[in-house]
Amino acid sequence: MRVLRWGAVLGLLPILQASAPQPSDWVPMRWPWSDPASLELLSGTPINCLLLKTVLPDFVQAAAARGVVTLAVLAPGGDVAGAARRAMAAKVTGIVIEGDLPEGDADGVREAAGGAPVIELTARSRMALGSGAPGVSILGTYQGVWPGIAVEEDGAKKAAPSGSVWIDTNTGFIRAVRAWGDAALWIANQPPAKTVVTGARYLQVVADAAISGARWVLALDDDFAARLARREPKTMADWKRIADLLRYFEQHPEWRRMQEYGKLAIVQDPAKGGLLSGGILDMIAVKHTPVRPVPRQHLTPEALAGATMAVNVDADALTPEQKEVLSNFTHAGGMLLTGPPGWKDQSPQGDQITLDKAELERLNDIWHDVNSMVGRRNMGVRLFNVSSVLSNLLAAADGKTAVVHLVNYSDYPVENVAVHFPAEYKRATLTTPEGVEKPLEVYPTEEGGGVDIDKVLVCATIKLEQ
Amino acid sequence: MTRREWLAMIGAAPLLKAAPGPEPPAAPVSIARCASYDEDVTAKLATLFNQLGGIDGLVRNKTVTVKLNMTGSPGIRFHGQPPGVTHYVHPKLVGAAAYLLGRAGARRIRFVESPWAYAGPLEDVMLDSGWNVRSLQSAAAGVEFENTNALGKSKAYSRFKVPGNPYMFPAYDLNRAYEDTDVFVSLAKLKNHATCGVTLSLKNCFGTAPASIYGDDAGVDEPNEKPTTGREAVLHNGKRQPSKSAPPELHPDSSHDPGYRVPHIVADLVAARPIHLAIIDGVESIAGGEGPWIRGIRIVKPGVLIAGLNPVSTDAVSAAVMGYSPRAVRGAAPFRTCDNTLLLAEAHGVGTTDLKRIDVRGLPIEQALYRYDT
Repeated sequence: MRVLRWGAVLGLLPILQASAPQPSDWVPMRWPWSDPASLELLSGTPINCLLLKTVLPDFVQAAAARGVVTLAVLAPGGDVAGAARRAMAAKVTGIVIEGDLPEGDADGVREAAGGAPVIELTARSRMALGSGAPGVSILGTYQGVWPGIAVEEDGAKKAAPSGSVWIDTNTGFIRAVRAWGDAALWIANQPPAKTVVTGARYLQVVADAAISGARWVLALDDDFAARLARREPKTMADWKRIADLLRYFEQHPEWRRMQEYGKLAIVQDPAKGGLLSGGILDMIAVKHTPVRPVPRQHLTPEALAGATMAVNVDADALTPEQKEVLSNFTHAGGMLLTGPPGWKDQSPQGDQITLDKAELERLNDIWHDVNSMVGRRNMGVRLFNVSSVLSNLLAAADGKTAVVHLVNYSDYPVENVAVHFPAEYKRATLTTPEGVEKPLEVYPTEEGGGVDIDKVLVCATIKLEQ
Repeated sequence: MTRREWLAMIGAAPLLKAAPGPEPPAAPVSIARCASYDEDVTAKLATLFNQLGGIDGLVRNKTVTVKLNMTGSPGIRFHGQPPGVTHYVHPKLVGAAAYLLGRAGARRIRFVESPWAYAGPLEDVMLDSGWNVRSLQSAAAGVEFENTNALGKSKAYSRFKVPGNPYMFPAYDLNRAYEDTDVFVSLAKLKNHATCGVTLSLKNCFGTAPASIYGDDAGVDEPNEKPTTGREAVLHNGKRQPSKSAPPELHPDSSHDPGYRVPHIVADLVAARPIHLAIIDGVESIAGGEGPWIRGIRIVKPGVLIAGLNPVSTDAVSAAVMGYSPRAVRGAAPFRTCDNTLLLAEAHGVGTTDLKRIDVRGLPIEQALYRYDT
């Protein structure tokens, strides 16, 4: 029976291979197994792109038969181009270079790949941001924070009596990078070592990337992978939830085409502070204030259209033309906050992806000013009862549709969330990865309209329509 | 120790020497069993009010101001729980109170609180706490909300003089909502407090002091109408004086120990702004402290509601329900490191802590007993 099934599948191989997804549609996962039978786990999931450290022709062929692309993962060191040639000989779809190759070595890999896709997972500081380089359809980094509510060493949640819970997130970085261009973005950090990663934490890390339009390269810790290989029921249930969440975002490609929206604009160089997590964008995120990152290099009147406030993080970095854009913004009634004189937006150093303490303290000065300027104004949408939640407001190009993504990072469901939005939106629909899709009652508020959401497990989306 | 022995102990003669003078007033206190917020909270509260003789005469055609306990930022949760089941009063009880006050003929019901470091609309804080503001508004006619951390909807503060011999300040400048009312209700939680031992209807009124004047970032001369801090420096520690627009401390060289200052200030406040009705939410709560920022707190489910027409008496009964002697002095639980707010208020003549003088109705104390110290 098994032989017959494989025979039938292999007979369809040319057709299936013809339907292989485009790189921008790849849903990636680090695949920890080499046994073709392991591919059965992909049934019912949207995962269609496997990153392989060990490349075996039989496995590659079996994957291709399922319409699944395979990418050989190569690390710096030794004859990388030769390794690429051997991988290509095994018929992988493309190459992933994970790590930072010496200058010029990547070209050798590309040559060895012979036109097949080559994806570089580099340090954040070495990403080809805004390069528009031909063939760069996917940007990626192996550096990322592990998303979740920050916990102190003694297990207490990191928060003062008065403050907000801090949430470690990659969203600020992702938003800064995506504001630069349209390349698909992969976050390929791996689960923290010596840590129990629950199914819920996997959902959070997937959603953390997805709500800002990126994809986390699914990577299972050894324990989870072993339990999954044994098909343990609880792990299989977690696996299904992960698959459901991935599918939830993949079923809405329009969300990735939407733009970050908010009446607050942050003008920042994505290649500098934008590369760091825990910076100004993340600080604003935990305050649930919608914000649009505007790369300094893209600072135009159009980029500020609809904004009422702007923060110029590194004032000295602007060209005279860019300063003129901000000057006109203020003359038209916009509020502008600039960083202190002489303040420089810090670039990542070495393996650093978060702000160091000194920089954090300096950024706090700006943050207090931003917080004071914004207050609790509605900068596009206002959220209530979302202390363990991060959100993202995205709007379609015509402005007629917007979505508010919510991700809950706590171990408990969040109940009774309220969302207030401008009056131009008349209809609201709630969707969730659990299959909920229902219209919400819109009630009047001082800001326009409002809706109530009974419960958010890990993720929910409110679609607003004019 | 048996329950009877314990009751005999907590009803013993006062350990703090009472000031000479007329006996402080006593009033009935009612206790009801309410195991969870899924029960008919409105019916339970109505029963309490009935046992007190009804509230119609108190509130009919009156403006009623209800001080809620919403201490700390709504973003700080204990084990992810909604704050209403840990350290805030529960919104269902708030809604029940609104409904019953409205049914009893209250003309206007104004919910007030001075939420942590925020002077914007109180409704924002309620929404951030997961409360359904629209439901509260529809619970009765004339429901309003006021954030009393600053001027709010008023143009000036009201000055409340402390009668008799004030402990800390001769008078306190508060939001006008506390003056523009006929009836003042303290709706509090049955909790421990790290600084004051317990926080009940009396301690709840510490939150009447606006951060604009008594906050760490209060203006030196005039109030700061956008406060962003708590009241540590002025009220807890006495490191600075309130805005000069308000009366300064009487004895600035007195102890800077929060365990001394806060109970004395609370006693002043409740003498200056009398409480007509005290309601204590002891359905679900926390023990060991007043909020999630206190190490070692734990969730408790005493399953009781308590109400009374005198706040000191109500707090005395509530403290007894928690397993404490309401007349314990500094050094004894729960007042191990602080003065006893209840006794200080009693000495101000606000009400009696003497359980023998308090008519407890409904559930007896010994049946409601839920020891907070284990």
